[in-house]
Amino acid sequence: MLVSAEIREKLDARFSPRELEVIDESEQHIGHAGYQEGGQSHFRVRMRAEELDGLSRVARHRAVHDALGPDLIGRIHALALDLAA
Amino acid sequence: MTDAHTQIDETVKSNDVVLFMKGTKSMPQCGFSSRVAGVLNYMGVDFADVNVLADDAIRQGIKDYSDWPTIPQLYVKGEFVGGCDIITEMTLSGELDTLFETNGVTYDKDAAEKIRAANA
Repeated sequence: MLVSAEIREKLDARFSPRELEVIDESEQHIGHAGYQEGGQSHFRVRMRAEELDGLSRVARHRAVHDALGPDLIGRIHALALDLAA
Repeated sequence: MTDAHTQIDETVKSNDVVLFMKGTKSMPQCGFSSRVAGVLNYMGVDFADVNVLADDAIRQGIKDYSDWPTIPQLYVKGEFVGGCDIITEMTLSGELDTLFETNGVTYDKDAAEKIRAANA
């Protein structure tokens, strides 16, 4: 499975988001640290989910880190998060 | 408690503002680290930089220290504030100004306003 699909699946399952975009930005990082052949290394996530309501910025990010799990987080080089309720 | 944990703990408690980053504030080696260091430099904040690429124990240890899997990480008065996305959001919203003011950290308000104007 593509990493982006894996991210999407895990976030969908955990947050039932109202809006969810998972963008593979790896191609913008060709030649930079962490780039690997075939991409799948740099991602940007934009998510809007009721579940995040009332959480601090740090807590929102932690909730996403938890939902993705250390294995998936460990496999990607960069994950930019734009999170709101 | 590991040596790395102790070392990190001492660093964040003995410096008002600390950025754990890839590279140094004068020569960042990652776009995300570069962005946060750039904001702090531009805002004239006096901060300590710790290059995690120079020490594997610190590189892993800082992720465990705040249960935060990515770098950069910003600390103000011993408290973890956030990584690149959070610092960017807080800069643009003015929350970073408030955080500095609350903690008695000197910064250039005009520079902060210029960043916001340029990103409005």
